[in-house]
Amino acid sequence: MPAHLTSRLGEGLIAIWGVVTIVFVVSRLLGDPAVLLLPIGASEAQLQELRTQLGLDQPLPQQYLTFLFNALRGDFGQSFQFGRPALDVVFERLPATAMLAGAALAIGILIGGLAGALAAIYRGSLIEAVVLLVALLGQATPSFWLGIMLILFFAVQLGWLPTGGYGTWQNLVLPAVTLACFTTASIARLLRSSMLDVMRDDYVRTAYAKGLGPRRVFTWHVGRNSLIPVVTMTGILAGELLGGAAVTETVFGWPGVGRLIVQAIETKDFPVVQAGVAIVAAIFVAVNLLVDLLYTLIDPRIRQSR
Amino acid sequence: MRNQASAHRLAAALSFGLSSLALSAPATARDLTIALSSNVNTLDPFKSTTVGTDLSVAAHIYTPLVDRGPDLKLRPGLATKWEAVGDNAWRFTLREGVTFSNGEKLDAEAVKWNVERVLDPKTAARNKPWFAAITEVKVVSPTVVEFLSKGAYPDLPDQMSMFLLMPPKWTAENNPAVTAVGSGPYELVRFTSGDRVELKARKGYWDEKPAFDNVTFRILPEDSSRIAALTAGDVDLITGFPTSEIKQIKAGGKVEAGSVAGTRGMFIKLNGLRAPFKDQPKLWRALNLAIDRKAINEGLLDGLAEVSACQPLSSVYFGFNPDLKPAAYDPAQAKKLLAEAGFASGLTMELEVPTGRYIQASDIAQVVASQLGEVGVKVNLREMEFGSFMNKYIVGKNLGDSAYFGLGWPTLDAGGLLNFWETENPQSYWGSESFTQGAKAARSTNDAAKRTELYRKLTKQLCEDSPSLFMFFTPITYAQSKSIAWQARGDDWVRAIDIKTR
Repeated sequence: MPAHLTSRLGEGLIAIWGVVTIVFVVSRLLGDPAVLLLPIGASEAQLQELRTQLGLDQPLPQQYLTFLFNALRGDFGQSFQFGRPALDVVFERLPATAMLAGAALAIGILIGGLAGALAAIYRGSLIEAVVLLVALLGQATPSFWLGIMLILFFAVQLGWLPTGGYGTWQNLVLPAVTLACFTTASIARLLRSSMLDVMRDDYVRTAYAKGLGPRRVFTWHVGRNSLIPVVTMTGILAGELLGGAAVTETVFGWPGVGRLIVQAIETKDFPVVQAGVAIVAAIFVAVNLLVDLLYTLIDPRIRQSR
Repeated sequence: MRNQASAHRLAAALSFGLSSLALSAPATARDLTIALSSNVNTLDPFKSTTVGTDLSVAAHIYTPLVDRGPDLKLRPGLATKWEAVGDNAWRFTLREGVTFSNGEKLDAEAVKWNVERVLDPKTAARNKPWFAAITEVKVVSPTVVEFLSKGAYPDLPDQMSMFLLMPPKWTAENNPAVTAVGSGPYELVRFTSGDRVELKARKGYWDEKPAFDNVTFRILPEDSSRIAALTAGDVDLITGFPTSEIKQIKAGGKVEAGSVAGTRGMFIKLNGLRAPFKDQPKLWRALNLAIDRKAINEGLLDGLAEVSACQPLSSVYFGFNPDLKPAAYDPAQAKKLLAEAGFASGLTMELEVPTGRYIQASDIAQVVASQLGEVGVKVNLREMEFGSFMNKYIVGKNLGDSAYFGLGWPTLDAGGLLNFWETENPQSYWGSESFTQGAKAARSTNDAAKRTELYRKLTKQLCEDSPSLFMFFTPITYAQSKSIAWQARGDDWVRAIDIKTR
């Protein structure tokens, strides 16, 4: 592994530790879960007994050390409400999240990339105007509203797709499109402006001057060079998508990580909050490392300068 | 139900329009899909007290000793009869020969084991507070079991309707949070957390065969999506959407919608332990007269709530006082009382409103604030997340001037609810010795006539002193496909056994 990747990995691990620590402290500040776990009217003694069983009666520094020690061995404790290890609960929701994020990202890269490139190539034309308008709308549309509209049209009116749920490819279509809306628009807009920047560069003019055809210039000179910022942003988008999309998941009843973490915060299920945030942070770090790797593949200068 | 519906249509076409015949004799299995608005977290009935989700699902797999029917009356479950033995014990007679689906016997010993599991601190049972008054379980014979308690436990049979019995041996060897084996009408097929629970009718169930062969609970948290899923025929029953949607749902013509008064009473709790409400009975009465509950019900809840009859109980509760009427709306009298209490120049108070828990809480609180404003009481609304509110209210014991809050009691018995106004209760925020003694006396006997009499007095006192301003019982909304009929109930249970086919 190249040296800079090793150091990035180290930074990533420190970031995960930092995030997890902050979440630990903040969640403890939110208050006591026992009062939400027991029925209303539970006595003081009953609340205290449950706190003892959950280990919440220990001093905070000790709780933290226990948590850290166990977390290093992959044990985030038992969920307060799911009755099984918090990490299992999170892992169980990961495939759904990965599937949705993957689909949304694939749509975003494919359609966003195509639309952005077309807009740049045909700059000043109707195509560019349409792409820019649609992209602006796509970025501005709240996923909540879009999701409901898609359900009403494709599931209720036409009956082509299920209204929500999880399990078959039909279930995936509407949430993926909803989520991809923003991704696609972002990629399209960034790729367009990045390509336009590159097209003004000297080496592109030189390439044309050498007598290369537009196809060759766009593929090798413009395309490759304009990808760097797009890859960076796609990485950020991928990290966000893999962290769960609570709103879209809620609208479609999609059993992903986003909804799980929101629910765990509301019910003060500390182990699940901690496990969920740790996993999401780890995914973010991993995606960032991947992006770094991609840079070196795309841009030989980065490879040589390090 | 979409496939089934199209099969019906086909059958109807083939039989030259005799669609009623086709519907009454379906060739396909009867399927039912119910959409829930919150997640099913666990199948272990001891690890949750959420009736609307976890316990409702578990109640298909496990059965209680006593069952509460859709009419909210108790009926035999695994126990065929039950009776109080003096003031400190209840005797239950069990059905003979009932087994769990794995063959384990469901006898008095199994019942005893279940109670002991709940009470064992190591279980960390969430429903322990409901059964903590039980001190001992005596196995009289394999079919007779006695529950002993320290004091009287008049609503023990009601509480037993929420006690879902588990097989001892199986429970010890499995994780009942994710899998289930019980004595109920259904057995678990698949549980995907966050998505669905699938059940199928169990062969060899000891009671009447259920109306549906397959039951699926699906989690659809968003109201609009739930309504869309019902309209599209993906699900058959939904609950818990805003009352304003009922009209819209009905207008589509494809499905039915309605509501039923819930068993959770909403009220405004006044903090009687500190200024300005400490020792100010006139001020309390003034506020009680300044709220137009009927207008709030009509304006915000489509008139579907049941306005409280000046008590925390609704008519389905034991101990309900039929002599009390909803507090009058009399702003002139309220102003007069305010002046007499020394607030002629007005009063500023805060109203805490927990969010995300009660139907339209923010809207209702705003109207209350403006109505109180009309009599010269300035209300500062403090909205806070439910969990934070509960911490402030119960753990921090630091309630603000007042709060918009709701209470229901699963046994539908006055004892449990009135307890919240007894001085020792951390949620009381009121120091009435006479009320506390009366409530204790009522809890010390199993004699229904005596209790009724005492509760008449206590509810009357709560109404007159008004340490809390009783508002209404908010409606539970539901909508269903036209092929089923849910016997709608106001106590949160959503069960396939309360649904018939049409």
